[in-house]
Amino acid sequence: MDLESVRELKRSLQEKLLAKLATTAQARSALGEAAHALGAGRAAPPTLALGVARRARNRFALAVRVQQRALEHSRTVEDLTKKAKGEVDVRYIGLVEKRVEPWHRQRRRPLCIGCSVGHFKVTAGTLGAFVRQRGGGSLSLLSNNHVLANENRGKRGDDILQPGAIDDGDNPADGVATLADFVRFKRVGANLVDAAMATVKEGVEADLTKLKGMGKLKGVGDVFVDEGTGVTKIGRTTGRTAGRVTAFEIDNVTVRFDIGELRFDNQIEIEGEGDAPFSDGGDSGSLIVGADLRAVALVFAGSDQGGANGQGLTYANPIQSVLDALRLELAL
Amino acid sequence: MNACTLQQARAAKHKAVELFRGTAAVAGIGITRIEDGYGLKVNLERPPESPLPTEVDGVPLRVEIVGTIRKREVTEGR
Repeated sequence: MDLESVRELKRSLQEKLLAKLATTAQARSALGEAAHALGAGRAAPPTLALGVARRARNRFALAVRVQQRALEHSRTVEDLTKKAKGEVDVRYIGLVEKRVEPWHRQRRRPLCIGCSVGHFKVTAGTLGAFVRQRGGGSLSLLSNNHVLANENRGKRGDDILQPGAIDDGDNPADGVATLADFVRFKRVGANLVDAAMATVKEGVEADLTKLKGMGKLKGVGDVFVDEGTGVTKIGRTTGRTAGRVTAFEIDNVTVRFDIGELRFDNQIEIEGEGDAPFSDGGDSGSLIVGADLRAVALVFAGSDQGGANGQGLTYANPIQSVLDALRLELAL
Repeated sequence: MNACTLQQARAAKHKAVELFRGTAAVAGIGITRIEDGYGLKVNLERPPESPLPTEVDGVPLRVEIVGTIRKREVTEGR
């Protein structure tokens, strides 16, 4: 069948056959479930799902996905096969469970390092660390400019959500902090950091040093990070990953942002261990720590190519540059 | 055998930055380890139109195609 014919068949079958199957007491009984009053608070049992499956380049079939074994060779499926003139792709798929999001994409109270966070107009990035301005200041979150300040477009006082908007962070209910300061991106010349901080709102609790599954953040590591140094990060998208520094003091790193291509100097490059990338979209702002659990760098960018495993490379600002640029110290 | 020091690599990096200025495909020039010493790593967004040198002032140079580097903000559906 051509694509439009399958779509039309699917529409007509969904309206007639499956509506009947899902709602009649007779059908439920046939599936081994006792009939019960409509509106008694129970959803219809999972039965069949219809879709389109590709057979060849321009040939399509009716996709029939069976969610109960009892229906696999049932009259209903036979009828569907007949109506599709045999052009069906029948598969048993069982129950489709709602995917449980990992902890780093969920709402976290107390706040913790590695969880989803973002300016209310940004999808999401990662809460890197807790910081204070040098000499004493309010407890604040550290992440990237493009996560907390929306690439220079944020204004001081803007709400920062945890989790970020794409992770169902609600504005203003999940507003845990307000944008306080950021290093403006320069469109001409070299940037050194992609960094911003947001003051944690009163009454919002935070676990300042917990690196989930690893221990406690111990402070700031050595400024010099050599090639081969083993590192770890916790990020909103890929969680905890291990990697290795592949280059350092990298200049002229050209990174694509919404506001255009920006240049960065003095960056660190990391590849993932094993078959996994070290980071992916959403891990921006993740704090990178060494084996001694001291902070090394802040993730901000990455590529899809390169690295020994071909999974791309991660680029990060040296943490001391970030702290110096915003006059911060880690809150430990 | 490469026995270049970190200082030699840093000096060569500055020269390489000037050397490759204007080469559109360059996406970063940094320092790495090559054999027993330090060397340069030149990242390219795409394969170069003509071969790059294999060393700068005696400091070896490794080239890697890294593709486009993007911010690591979450994109829809991830």
